[in-house]
Amino acid sequence: MTDLTAFTALGAAQPRLASFEALDIRENPELALASLALRRGSIRPAPFGLHLPEPGRWVAGQGVAAFWVGPDQWMIEAEGRAEENFAADLKQASPDCTVTEQTDGWIVFEIVSRSGRAPLEELLSKLVNIDLADFELGRATRTGLEDMSCFVIRRNETHVAVMGARSFAGSLWHALETAVSRLQT
Amino acid sequence: MLIPHPILGSRDAREFTYLGDVRLVDRPDPTGPDAEAAFCDYVFLRDNPAGVHRELWFHEQGDRSCLVVTRSTITHDILGAELARDFALARKRGGE
Repeated sequence: MTDLTAFTALGAAQPRLASFEALDIRENPELALASLALRRGSIRPAPFGLHLPEPGRWVAGQGVAAFWVGPDQWMIEAEGRAEENFAADLKQASPDCTVTEQTDGWIVFEIVSRSGRAPLEELLSKLVNIDLADFELGRATRTGLEDMSCFVIRRNETHVAVMGARSFAGSLWHALETAVSRLQT
Repeated sequence: MLIPHPILGSRDAREFTYLGDVRLVDRPDPTGPDAEAAFCDYVFLRDNPAGVHRELWFHEQGDRSCLVVTRSTITHDILGAELARDFALARKRGGE
């Protein structure tokens, strides 16, 4: 087989990482993604033991997580399984649902704060129109970020993931990096 | 402007795309005897009310649902919003 070199969405062999005073931004190319949609009349499944969340929410299980994306529709995440056929596993776990592979359609940036929730919330308040008073652990929403449509997921108090279309990975990185660097001035 | 999304609560209007008058939901029967005239009205004719107006808004940067938003064109007050799917299903049930 032809010997091909894999690149991440930002065009490098290694995922990009930027460290700032309080925040780190890390490209996460290891996250497998698949969408799951109920068919008419089908019963809500519990793939890999996940209790599929209500609108606007995200839940984590053992190595997998899920967030709501639309009525009767969820995105399922599996950390470290981007190289595998995760969608096939999900289809097997929820055979009555429609499952679509999403891994390479999205770019995921993990933003982690090293000094509490304040810098993270300051960043979000500049970038997205989300009511932060209500954006606690386990919330996930799709919104606009500099005119790009993104999912924003609150993984914990000091950790937020921003997920955008892979085709604008560079622009999204630029938006995040610029906003974080301006927090320090 | 905030739109009261029936599932997600108040959302910024900038997340939405305006799709037009709600009468677009009532697409005429293309096999009907007067289909050409009906489609001509459907495509080109709109009321232009001063006051309460029902219109379709698509939550593009959100959950991708289509809403029927009731809005006053005089005051820009948003008087209500419901899922277009529920609206269309209720219409269909009412018409049968």
